[in-house]
Amino acid sequence: MAARWAAGAGNACVRGLLGWARPERWLAASSLFPLSCIHTSCTALQQIGKWEKKNRIVYPPQLPGEPRRPAEIYHCRREIKYSKDKMWYLAKLIKGMSIDQALAQLEFSDKKGAKVIKEVLLEAQELAVKKHNVEFKSNLHIAESLTGRGRYTKRIRYHAKGMFGIMKIVRCHYFVKLVEGPPPPPEPPKTGFDQAKEYVQQLRSRTLVNTL
Amino acid sequence: MAAAMKAGLGWLGLRAAGAVLRAAAPAGVVVPVRTKKKKPSVPEWARELSPEEKEKRLRALVARMPEDRMERMFYMASTADIIDPYVPPEGDARLTSLSKDGVVQKMQKLKQTAASQLALRKIKDHDLDFSTKTFPEKAQEIFIEAHNCLANFNKQKLHSLVTERCYPEMVRGNRYKTIRWKFVESLEPPRVVHVRCESVMNRGNLYGQVTVRMHTRQILAIYDRFGRLMYGGEQVPKDVLEYVVFEKYLVNPYGTWRMHGKIVPEWAPPKDPIVKTVLIPGPTLEPSQEYEEMK
Repeated sequence: MAARWAAGAGNACVRGLLGWARPERWLAASSLFPLSCIHTSCTALQQIGKWEKKNRIVYPPQLPGEPRRPAEIYHCRREIKYSKDKMWYLAKLIKGMSIDQALAQLEFSDKKGAKVIKEVLLEAQELAVKKHNVEFKSNLHIAESLTGRGRYTKRIRYHAKGMFGIMKIVRCHYFVKLVEGPPPPPEPPKTGFDQAKEYVQQLRSRTLVNTL
Repeated sequence: MAAAMKAGLGWLGLRAAGAVLRAAAPAGVVVPVRTKKKKPSVPEWARELSPEEKEKRLRALVARMPEDRMERMFYMASTADIIDPYVPPEGDARLTSLSKDGVVQKMQKLKQTAASQLALRKIKDHDLDFSTKTFPEKAQEIFIEAHNCLANFNKQKLHSLVTERCYPEMVRGNRYKTIRWKFVESLEPPRVVHVRCESVMNRGNLYGQVTVRMHTRQILAIYDRFGRLMYGGEQVPKDVLEYVVFEKYLVNPYGTWRMHGKIVPEWAPPKDPIVKTVLIPGPTLEPSQEYEEMK
C-alpha cells in the first residue's frame, strides 16, 4: 500500500508540478493580458562549474606598448558516459597540439571518447570565433586538456546461481583550454652534456660549513 | 478518560451538568432541515428587462471563477518603437553655411511642420516647463550621462536615463567587454527637429517623443575580454551627427525625459570596419565539385 501510494505520488510528480491546474483553460478565458511568460528558471539550483566560470574574467585594457595578450578559451563537457582513465589517453594525446592536428588525430582514432572530444573541440572553436574575438580559427592550440571523474551510480549486476555484483556506471568530465597562437615548440630531450653541466653546477654550489 | 469525565462532572455538580446538556439540545425541538433550494423568482420590477440585462444580473450573482483573477497587471513605462520617425534631410551637415542650400537647411524651423506643433502643444499641457529652447541642453546632458553610465556599467542609473526599449540595444554584447567613451565637444548647438505625441493602448495614455539633432565630437574605444582593442581608438576623435529620440510618459507625474533611440538615415556614411577579419562562409560543396566550377 505504501508502495502504491509512492507510485501514485511519483506519477503526479511526473505530470508536472502544476498537474492539477490546466493553463490552457485559463489562457482561453482570459482577457487582454494573458498569463504568458512567467519568468521561472531552475538555474539557481544548478551549479555552474569552476571551469565555465573561467570564461568570465575580464582583463583591463592593454597599454599600447604591451605585447598582445593571447586569447584563452575554456570549454568542457560534463557527465560523458566513458571512463576517466580511458579518456585520459586521448586527452594526453592531444595536449600541446594545434587544433587542426588534434581534430585530425581524433577523427581517425578508434576510441569512443574520440568522437566526444572532437565535438567538444569544434564547439570550443566556434565559441572562440563568435564570442571571444579570436580572428583565425586555426590559430588555436590546446594548452590544457584534462579529464575528471563524473558522478558514479551503482547498479546490480546479476550473475548465475543467484549471485550478484554491484557495478559502477562510470562517467567522466572533459576539460579543454584553447589558447590563441601557434603551439609551443616541444622541449628538446635532455642530452648527456646537459646532465653533466647540471652535475658540475651542483658541485660548485655547495657551501662549506664549520670551516675556516 | 471515562474516569476524568466522571471527575469533571462531579466537580461541576450533577445538576449544573444536566442544565448545560439540556440547554445544548433542548428536548421536543425539531432541528430544521434545509429545504430544496429553488431558483430565485424574477420580481415584478425585473420582468420587463431585456434579455441582456437579465444575463448581466445573473452573471453578477454567480461567484467569480478563479480564472478571472489570473490577470497579470503590467505597467508600460515606454513605447516599443519610435512613432512616425523623423526623416533627416539628405546631405545634412555636409553643406557649408556659405552655400544657399546650407543656409536654407540651417533656417529650418519646427514651425513648418503642423503635426509637430500640435504634439508640442499637447506636451506643454502636461509638462509645463517644457520649451524647445531649453530642452536640447538637458537632452545633451542626459545623452552624455547615459553613455558614461554605459562605459562604467552603472546599470541602476542607466535604467533611469534610458527607456526599456533602448536599454537592450545599448547593452547587448557588452558584458565581457570594456568600453571607453568620451565626449569631447559639441560642434553645433543641439536643436529639436521633431515632436510627436501618441497614446498607446487606451486613449489618453500619452507618451511624448522628441527628436534632437546633435552634431558632436566623440571618442570611442572598445576592448574585448583580454584587453585588446576591438574597435575605434582612444586618440581618434570622430565627428558624429545623430538624431536622438527622447521619450517621456506624460500622464505619469513622476515621468522623466529618457533616451529612447537613435535614427540612422540611409545616407549616413558607413562605419569603420572592426579590427579583425571575419570569415564569410562560402557555398557548401559536394566532394566531387570544385569551387571554380561552382562559379
